[in-house]
Amino acid sequence: MNAVLSIAKTTIGEAIRRRVLLVILLVGVLFLVIAPGLSVLSARQNYTVLTSFTLGVIQMTSAVIAIVLTVYLIPNEVERRTIYTILSKPVYRWHFLLGKYLGAVGALGMMMLLMSTVLVLVFRIMQRDASMDDVMRLATAPLFFFVQMSLLAAVAMFFSTFVSPIVNFFLSGGVYLIGTLFSPVFQDLSENRTLQPMVKGAATLIHTIVPNFAQYNIQSGIINSGPELRSVELYYAQIVLYAVFYIAVFLIAGMMIFDRKEV
Amino acid sequence: MNLAIETKKLTKTYKTSSGPQSVVKDLDLQVEKGEIFGFLGPNGAGKTTTIKILLGIIDSTSGEASVLGNPAGDIQSHRKLSYLPEKPYYYEHMTGLEITQFYASLFGIKDRELCERLLNRVNLGNDMNRPISQYSKGMQQRVGLAQSLLNDPELLFLDEPTGGLDPIAHIEIRDLILKFRDEGRTVFISSHELSDVERICDRVAIINKGEMVHQGRLDQLLSGGRIEITADNVTEELSAKFRGEDSTVSFRNGRLIADIADTAHPGEMLDAIRAAGGDIVSIIPRRKRLEDLFLESVAGDNVVKGRKMSKMTDDHDEHKGASSSVVQDEEGSEEVNS
Repeated sequence: MNAVLSIAKTTIGEAIRRRVLLVILLVGVLFLVIAPGLSVLSARQNYTVLTSFTLGVIQMTSAVIAIVLTVYLIPNEVERRTIYTILSKPVYRWHFLLGKYLGAVGALGMMMLLMSTVLVLVFRIMQRDASMDDVMRLATAPLFFFVQMSLLAAVAMFFSTFVSPIVNFFLSGGVYLIGTLFSPVFQDLSENRTLQPMVKGAATLIHTIVPNFAQYNIQSGIINSGPELRSVELYYAQIVLYAVFYIAVFLIAGMMIFDRKEV
Repeated sequence: MNLAIETKKLTKTYKTSSGPQSVVKDLDLQVEKGEIFGFLGPNGAGKTTTIKILLGIIDSTSGEASVLGNPAGDIQSHRKLSYLPEKPYYYEHMTGLEITQFYASLFGIKDRELCERLLNRVNLGNDMNRPISQYSKGMQQRVGLAQSLLNDPELLFLDEPTGGLDPIAHIEIRDLILKFRDEGRTVFISSHELSDVERICDRVAIINKGEMVHQGRLDQLLSGGRIEITADNVTEELSAKFRGEDSTVSFRNGRLIADIADTAHPGEMLDAIRAAGGDIVSIIPRRKRLEDLFLESVAGDNVVKGRKMSKMTDDHDEHKGASSSVVQDEEGSEEVNS
């Protein structure tokens, strides 16, 4: 595991210095800082607008960072030939892929932590009467975005073992959009008994293959109080386990492809 | 024979739009332990592909390859070998010491002192804490050599280790490689720097278009060369007798300069000159240069042939520079060259 951790650490060091990622991060932070200026409505709406806008900014920025960061990880190593030096050491290819993935997730986590800190600071300044519970509830959303982005990074890592970075960018982005926007639709279709078997089968297939990213968007419950879950903790544990399962599947599939790939 | 590397009928074929294309064809390679082995060939000859197969980075299509007694790519062999790629890139945010520590960690080594010692050995002791982005090409190459020694390797693969370096860095790296051999390591060098290869390698293999053209000890490959005989007071009639398909004879003002193959009975020629009253001025055995052997080996296309021709003329000129009287004579020999 030494090799995996060393590769992860080096990947973090590189990622947090990549200018393109820092620019995206800077834009995200900038939007978070100017967010209060966009709220000119009543007190209740102000809270709603502020939270939904800032959480949206974090989610969007994190998704772009996750994809841009991950799609170039392996191609860059091949292009710069560092992969040859690393693989000539007693390092298995799966060590390399796992190290790269963990590094990407680590760097992503650091960037998201920065945005979340800015989010909390902005929230504390603008909502002085908000309780600590409110702040904690707000901070929960980026935590699940992080789980969501870790899953997205695994998808991008999987694709990076066999497609070019540009194709990967659109593929991963597409999977993320489908999994975020249409996953509930495909779920409904797959459970609809009145549909033709072909349509139902296709919907089930897509619903199974494409991870359900939508379930990590827990901000709706934070912004608008709705029906309460019987056990929030259980639900959270379930969706985290779901992510861990899908991450494992994508990484193992990626490792199997990468193991046979001629770099 | 104690072999560090052995390949048998090693072949690598890629599928292309115009059909299967073999990059390496039936390559039989033997690298003995403890030697510096030069692996030569023009661009696209299949050198890097062969190295990648030996390192297990890609698989061969057919044939066998073993490294340090294990099948190529075996992780156990990787503990005992190291590789320095051509124009290596290092993570620029790291210092020389951090880079070396990173590669050490891939072996499970957490010995800062070892890293510092190796960086000192390659003369980077004063610069090890500077970011790699501030290093010159030669310094980066030395970091590469330091990282390649972390596991005290039995076998080193060095791909163009002196490529693009200034003369001082060039000499330093060359000397380091010689020290590696003195320490009992096997060094496998892929290089275009033929003068370096000729100077430091014990054996070489020359491949062209994926196929082995020559393999053997350098002294054997370059021997069997030529002998240059210079004699005075020789008649033109006698000099004409020495002209042949494989000889270059020049004659001017009673001086004969004959460049003949060492298999062309030079003794008989000397006897004939002496019998005719000529005076032998010098007999110089001329070893082939690796450059000549290389150019002969890869002269499959016109470009290389053209280069070969011009190169051989250059060599003649170079040789001519050794004696001004010979220069004029040799120039005259162009007309009588058989």
